[in-house]
Amino acid sequence: MTRTVVRPQWVGELGRSFVTFSAALVIGALVMVATGRDAWGAYRTLFAVAFLGAQNLADTLLAATPLIFTGLATAVAFRAGVFNIGVEGALYLGAFAAAWIGFTLTGLPAGLLIPLAFLAAGLAGALFMLIPGALRAYLRVDEIVTTIMLNYVAISFTSYLVNYPYAVPGLANAMSPKIALAAQLPRLLPPSQLNLALIVVLLLVPLVHWLLSRTTLGYELRALGSNPIFARWSGVPVPAVILQVMLLSGFIGGLAGAGQVLGVNYRFVDNFSPGYGFDGITIALLGRNTALGSLIAAVLLGALRSGGATLELFVDIPKDLILILEATIIFFVTAEFVLTFPRRRHAGVH
Amino acid sequence: MQAFTDLAFATLRLTTPIILAALAGLLSQQVGLINIALEGMMLAAAFAAVLGAFYAQHALVGVVAAVVTGMLVALVFAVFVLRFRANLIVAGLAANILALGGTGYLLQVLYQTRGAFAPPGLRGLGTVHIPGLSQIPILGPILDGHSPLVYVTWVLVILTSIFLNRTVTGLRVRAVGEQAEAATTVGIPARRLQYGMLLAAGGLCGLAGAQMSLGNLQLFVYNMTNGRGFMALAAVFFGQAQPWATTLGSVVFGFFDALQIRLQTTVGVPPQITQILPFLSIVVVLTWVSWRRYRARPVAA
Amino acid sequence: MAEAVPLVRMEEISKAFPGVLANDRITFEVADGEIHALVGENGAGKTTLMRILYGLERADAGRIYWSGRPVAIQSTEDAIHLGIGMVHQRFQLVPSLTAAESVTLGQEPRRGVFFDRARARAVVQELGARFGLAVNPGARIAELSVGEQQRVEILKLLYRQARLLVLDEPTTVLTPQEVAQLYEVLRRLVAEGRTVIFITHKLAEVLAASDRVTVLRRGCVVGTLPTREATGEGLARMIVGETMPAILARGGEPPGPPMLRLERVSAADDRGLPALVEITLEVRRGEILGIAGVEGNGQKELVEVATGVRRPTSGRFLLNGQDLTRADVAARRRAGLAVIPEDRYTEGLSLPMTIEDNLIATRYRALATRGVLRMVAVRAESAALMRRFDVRAPHPRVSARTLSGGNLQRVVVARELGGEPAALIAAHPTRGLDIAAARFVHQQLLEMRTRGGAVLLISADLDEIMALADRIGVLFAGRIVGELSAAAATREQLGLLMAGRSATA
Repeated sequence: MTRTVVRPQWVGELGRSFVTFSAALVIGALVMVATGRDAWGAYRTLFAVAFLGAQNLADTLLAATPLIFTGLATAVAFRAGVFNIGVEGALYLGAFAAAWIGFTLTGLPAGLLIPLAFLAAGLAGALFMLIPGALRAYLRVDEIVTTIMLNYVAISFTSYLVNYPYAVPGLANAMSPKIALAAQLPRLLPPSQLNLALIVVLLLVPLVHWLLSRTTLGYELRALGSNPIFARWSGVPVPAVILQVMLLSGFIGGLAGAGQVLGVNYRFVDNFSPGYGFDGITIALLGRNTALGSLIAAVLLGALRSGGATLELFVDIPKDLILILEATIIFFVTAEFVLTFPRRRHAGVH
Repeated sequence: MQAFTDLAFATLRLTTPIILAALAGLLSQQVGLINIALEGMMLAAAFAAVLGAFYAQHALVGVVAAVVTGMLVALVFAVFVLRFRANLIVAGLAANILALGGTGYLLQVLYQTRGAFAPPGLRGLGTVHIPGLSQIPILGPILDGHSPLVYVTWVLVILTSIFLNRTVTGLRVRAVGEQAEAATTVGIPARRLQYGMLLAAGGLCGLAGAQMSLGNLQLFVYNMTNGRGFMALAAVFFGQAQPWATTLGSVVFGFFDALQIRLQTTVGVPPQITQILPFLSIVVVLTWVSWRRYRARPVAA
Repeated sequence: MAEAVPLVRMEEISKAFPGVLANDRITFEVADGEIHALVGENGAGKTTLMRILYGLERADAGRIYWSGRPVAIQSTEDAIHLGIGMVHQRFQLVPSLTAAESVTLGQEPRRGVFFDRARARAVVQELGARFGLAVNPGARIAELSVGEQQRVEILKLLYRQARLLVLDEPTTVLTPQEVAQLYEVLRRLVAEGRTVIFITHKLAEVLAASDRVTVLRRGCVVGTLPTREATGEGLARMIVGETMPAILARGGEPPGPPMLRLERVSAADDRGLPALVEITLEVRRGEILGIAGVEGNGQKELVEVATGVRRPTSGRFLLNGQDLTRADVAARRRAGLAVIPEDRYTEGLSLPMTIEDNLIATRYRALATRGVLRMVAVRAESAALMRRFDVRAPHPRVSARTLSGGNLQRVVVARELGGEPAALIAAHPTRGLDIAAARFVHQQLLEMRTRGGAVLLISADLDEIMALADRIGVLFAGRIVGELSAAAATREQLGLLMAGRSATA
């Protein structure tokens, strides 16, 4: 099977994603009706809670923020035909790195501390991807398996860090010390926790789009993703591009972790991610591996997430409904996904 | 001595769901399908086991419910992967999310609880005492007194090995997994075997789930599998999808699982470090295999 | 032989794939009990014809008769049921299974649900003894030599009672000793009442092993003749064609100093077998060196080694005096090398990308400043290339998929020649093109020569080589077996060389 990522045919592709999204809503409605819940009311509430009113919209964007990061991180890899599942691991390491900067270099001013924390987070994520990236690029070790496995290594490792060397005595849950006030990202629309991380990621979206369409690396990864044999014959340095793409993906994944630590939790909390990295896969697929598409998909998913919590409170519908919706979306998007993305098995780079 | 016996006993108990899920993973791998959905199949089955055992007031009904549920999740996964040609990895992740969301949703709709669900009067699998077994020195106390599924599991390991290596269907399964094209050209219905193995994997994960919620514990906890499906998958890679090697991998990982509690209290080795080992070892094994392949490659650049 | 009812008669078979007519009203007969060689260059339609016979493809038109009876072969099962078996070029074997398991797979001897290993072994031993195909039934496929694996493949067919065995290029993977053994086996098969069709490129094998031979060219039958009436050079000419090409204006300066040089280059193919043996060749400025030869004699590896996608096992590659043996594709291209690859759909183009993206594939670095593409330059460059090479497309930023075959090759040619390269490797540059598109490519190659570029033209089309080249080298079994000046070369000489005999013999 060859791995071919088709260049976005914007309208049609996003249109199909929309259909997928709607299909998931229908299935969710069936589940609710079957369990005696008011589906129409639920969706109405969900929409209202997600989009109506400044605070609600802020909460949706807050939920979307890490998802935009991980969506972009995944999309750049998928676009190159590299099946990176390790964004979750990069996110954990990035989060810890950002926290470490935040609680260690407490004397620095915000203007220095915050960029430094983001940078450290990105580097930690990239460093993490160095292993599966180099293995894939130079030894052709399947990146799917290594990244899945290394995710657990990263999660356990950070858990060890906050349970032992950086444990804070007297706290019930394992977490790092709190970061300096200067490292905490300013809120954009209090009381919502929505913070500067959103601005960072909103700047990242056009940057990634620009990188994909206007730089040599972007060109190389598109060539590689669309036809690896052609890429090699044209002189694209394939292993180097694979490695760079993995590092880039890890870097963005690491930033996602920093955003949560600096903007929301103010510390590294053991096991804090509900699977943001894995959500990145859904988002990238739904967004057709483009920057703008990932942004839209992440906001949709963020709306579901932030609305989900309210559903439980007001209309007695468990927020796990959102997971059911998400699973349905993924099933559908991957089922049609194959039409534009004929699945591989090492027909790729020779 | 007592400490050793306890540790070995616990290993055997904790290893059982991992072995069962690993057998499921290896059957899938043997028809060429990496099964990421083990986790979800186990989780849904663990939930169904508690429901079945609770309503029927009989553990066996719980086990049957678990097996059926595991197979249902497997069917959804199989239909998307085989019929709609969904991406294997992505569909597997989706199946896991579906199981997590589905069990969580039902838990709350039916029992208004998040977290643990232990209905009063829930019958667990209980333990089996094999006459005379406990009299054997050292081994007796380790082997005797487990849930029946522990013994069933080892029988299944043997059966899986016989199935793959001795039966006609097993031969065809191996052919399909290794070279599907070669198998189809001699008229082997590859697709049907893939469905069959995925459903069998669902059934095995069903047993694994039942052992978790009715054997090791008598309750269901939200997300109680917590990565065990992936640990089983790691064991499959460790054992290169061979029954005994995969079982060995599962036992080693299960042993670390059992050991970590002791190491933590006695020697002070953090559990996270022992948790890392299975996953790290897979990366090392894969690297080693690829390195050898790389060295042996023809000169094509 | 021809009077008896043929075992198989394929009548007026046609099969079209998008853009190619693979089989054009082919009529082909195989007599019962003969060894029939089917020859022709790549893309001549041999494999397609056999895939139709074996039920892997459906013909668009035509009929098939089996022992005089019309039959409909809709699937491989139908073919197997009739008694047709095929050994593919790529073996269909499972590495970890034993020979006995592999032979019986799909129709296993069983005892209840269990595989009857003893009976499978006995079957393999018995068939092996009868047909001279000894293999150790207990050995795993991965442990067997390629020749032994081929025997397992043939045993598979015999186990399934095949009467007609089709072997697709059976000798390309074998050592000379194994080839001799295979001939033995073929004779035993015929003696035991079987019929054999084998597809090949190699003329010596046709002459050594077959009773009759059919030559295909461009989807049509050129002729069928008894092997004893055939000669190597005659067949070579039937394969590569005899029509006189349109005369192209050649002229310009006499060739200048050396530009492209391969020095004692050896290389292995994908299986690790030697494909090129100590090749030395040199192309000068303002010169076209044609490499003729029947396909499968190392052409693919030659192109790959020169391009830099395959590493030679020994030897040197020089461009304009600069040693680029260890340079990668990008470095070679920067040094002035251009390549028109054999397969434009996979190696030459990325169909999902835009025409513009395809046009800049080899020079995107030059169109960038510190890693950022200068889009104005990219747009201007691709627009200029499209104008200059007359690429007809609605817009430079539509997917390349939307273009026709001829226009796609124009994109490749525009990209490769637009940068005024010092040297060009052109591999079968007109294969599959219509006359107008082919003529366009030829003109471009000649212009490059006039401009003082060096062109290495690899082609299976003798007409093309004779019309364009200044000198002609003949590639046979991975070696350059002769080099002639185009003016002095005759078809007879070239035919002899292509058949593997020295020009003076």
